[in-house]
Amino acid sequence: MIVYFRAGGQLRARLKPDVDHYTRKVEVDGEKTIAEILKDISVDSAYVALIHVDGKMTDLSFKPSNGQTITLQPPVSGG
Amino acid sequence: MANGFTSSRGLAGTTLRINLTTGEIKRYPTDEKLMREWFGGRGAIAKILYDEVPRDADPLGPENLFIMSAGVMSGCFIPSGAKIEFGSVSPLTNGHGDSNMGGHLGPTLKFAGYDMVIMSGISPKPIYLFIDDDTVELRDASKYWGMGSLACEPAMKKDLGEDFEIATIGPAGENGIRFSCITHDFGRQAGRTGQGAVMGSKKLKAIAVRGTRGINVYNLNKLTEQVTAIIKRTQTHPNMAPWQKYGTAFFIEWSNDNAVIPTRNFQTTYYEDIKGISGEALVDRCLITHKACFGCWMNCGKYTKAVLPGKQTVYLEGPEYETGALCGSNLGMTDINQVAYLNWLMDNVGMDTMSGGGVVAFAMECFQRGLITTDDLEGHTLNWGSVEDTEHFVDMMVHRRGIGEYFSGGTKRAAEKIGRGSEKFAMQVKGQEMSGYDGRYAPGMLLSYMTCDIGAHHNRSWTITVDMAEGRDKVEGRAKVVVYLQHVRPLFDCWCICRLFWGELDIEPEEIVESLNHITGWNIDAAEAFKTSEKIWNLVRCHYLERNKANGRTFDYPPARSWEDKIPTGPSAGKGLTKEQIETMLDEYYACRGWDSDGNPSREVLHDLKLDFAADNIEKIGLLGKPLPNGIPAVRGERYKPKAF
Repeated sequence: MIVYFRAGGQLRARLKPDVDHYTRKVEVDGEKTIAEILKDISVDSAYVALIHVDGKMTDLSFKPSNGQTITLQPPVSGG
Repeated sequence: MANGFTSSRGLAGTTLRINLTTGEIKRYPTDEKLMREWFGGRGAIAKILYDEVPRDADPLGPENLFIMSAGVMSGCFIPSGAKIEFGSVSPLTNGHGDSNMGGHLGPTLKFAGYDMVIMSGISPKPIYLFIDDDTVELRDASKYWGMGSLACEPAMKKDLGEDFEIATIGPAGENGIRFSCITHDFGRQAGRTGQGAVMGSKKLKAIAVRGTRGINVYNLNKLTEQVTAIIKRTQTHPNMAPWQKYGTAFFIEWSNDNAVIPTRNFQTTYYEDIKGISGEALVDRCLITHKACFGCWMNCGKYTKAVLPGKQTVYLEGPEYETGALCGSNLGMTDINQVAYLNWLMDNVGMDTMSGGGVVAFAMECFQRGLITTDDLEGHTLNWGSVEDTEHFVDMMVHRRGIGEYFSGGTKRAAEKIGRGSEKFAMQVKGQEMSGYDGRYAPGMLLSYMTCDIGAHHNRSWTITVDMAEGRDKVEGRAKVVVYLQHVRPLFDCWCICRLFWGELDIEPEEIVESLNHITGWNIDAAEAFKTSEKIWNLVRCHYLERNKANGRTFDYPPARSWEDKIPTGPSAGKGLTKEQIETMLDEYYACRGWDSDGNPSREVLHDLKLDFAADNIEKIGLLGKPLPNGIPAVRGERYKPKAF
């Protein structure tokens, strides 16, 4: 299965985009949660403040489907 | 051309000086040298306050100045050039105070032809400042005096016209509540440092501006080219869509998950009822539509309604993160409608929701501990999670009834009156209440609060993710990052552009400076920008020392809860800093700044920043920093590079 992660700000450096400026393509074996996938690609989920999939907020327990794009938002630099 | 002065290089051209006692209004060409050397906005305000306000002036008296400055970038063809900066000697901290707001007032002031308005004295009766291009008048405000801010603005628009931009104070400012704010565009506030109280002390109810002119810039073609590229880039930025949907409120749950959210007056850092007050709760239950400032499509503003049983439905902008934390978890509220209602309440009376939430929380803990009782509260209780109790207490403060008088001066003054150990949990530094992050297990954040020039405010420096990356138990190495951020972030307050747009969408400081150069023709680089910001920081420090007449270190400590009380619950249970670690952080910070161990700037660093006049002044009162044995660092502050894999 292929999923895509998008992130800006501090998270982008950690994500190491390889598709475009913000996006990384990840191959996933089997069904996994976002938390598990992030661990596999060495992105510390503590730096993820918000997760968006298909325009809706979700969380680290979400299991993405093939081809989905998951947007990760880092914390603001102080609200 | 306005008033005979020409707009050029981002400046509108005219500065107004108004004596509110006599009613005299004078027009001057804007001092370009002042703008160049001090950057306008916060910087120009700092210089003028330093030069002109007597050191023993009462912040609520006639000798204090009240200044509004629109900055060189506000109103120009750049994203979110929307800000206006207000400044005066703060009645909360007794030092330099400044606070800004978004909306439309800053650009409109410049479109009318004015970069800055400097007001002195005290009007004999309630007035408002009326500006309509070349027409500047002080008009009778008696019909508006006493109105809530959220009621006053539409009333004035009805009288003057919808195309006027209006900023108002509410009864809190009129009555001298030291953490009063200024409100504009229904829901934008200049909240911190009590600028609303200074306006109120001058009997200045409101500012109404209409402007119809343009602003000339140095190189419009290059500015257009650069900004167009930034616009295109940011339109596809991953952060944009969530920002547009949630504003800063999305951050509430993250803050809780990482155990930094203030809970019940910072007694702990994890809130069990977070779901009820989260960003998602805001969008699901309160949101009506999104709202943006001038030149910004991030539309982080949320126009909402609060619906509570037994209460009228109210309409407001918010709550954003800070209000969500400080009037939410910090007061034990469990429903976003409660938080929104309190947001509306404080906005309408004209009270900073950050200090307001902090002061109410402090009072609630005093009640919890029996230090104040129902006898003190006119027969009412002041329980966690009670909107009714909060509403009654806010009313006592606004009208300075009974014990409300103590709290109307902020937590520091209230604790001085209450005594009995309450100083320990008056969560403030230098008299200003903490922002919505607990620093006990985020040492850089605590250091940011301790050393902030205007008291415990996060806007100058925010380091929680640095703390997470470097280890929250470790304090060494934070100071250089805090110093760097204290130079970078206030630049937005000088240039009057929004930090959220320019900071959250991966726009580098060098790109912002490029825009600045296209507007002004100054041809500076980022290093020079940071150095000017450092100069402003040191001038403000000297001003503070001269007014408060003690070593700087005296004022840089957080309340004792910060080291005496380990976090009791949640993911960070048992964690906290020691006093020794706090002293270590201060020592490192001062060394990084070129200040001595007493927290006083050395002559060497002041000379390097061309502040010899300030060095002479603090030397006269015995507060010049001792010569540093190893000299001053060549560069103060270090840009943080996130750890790579």
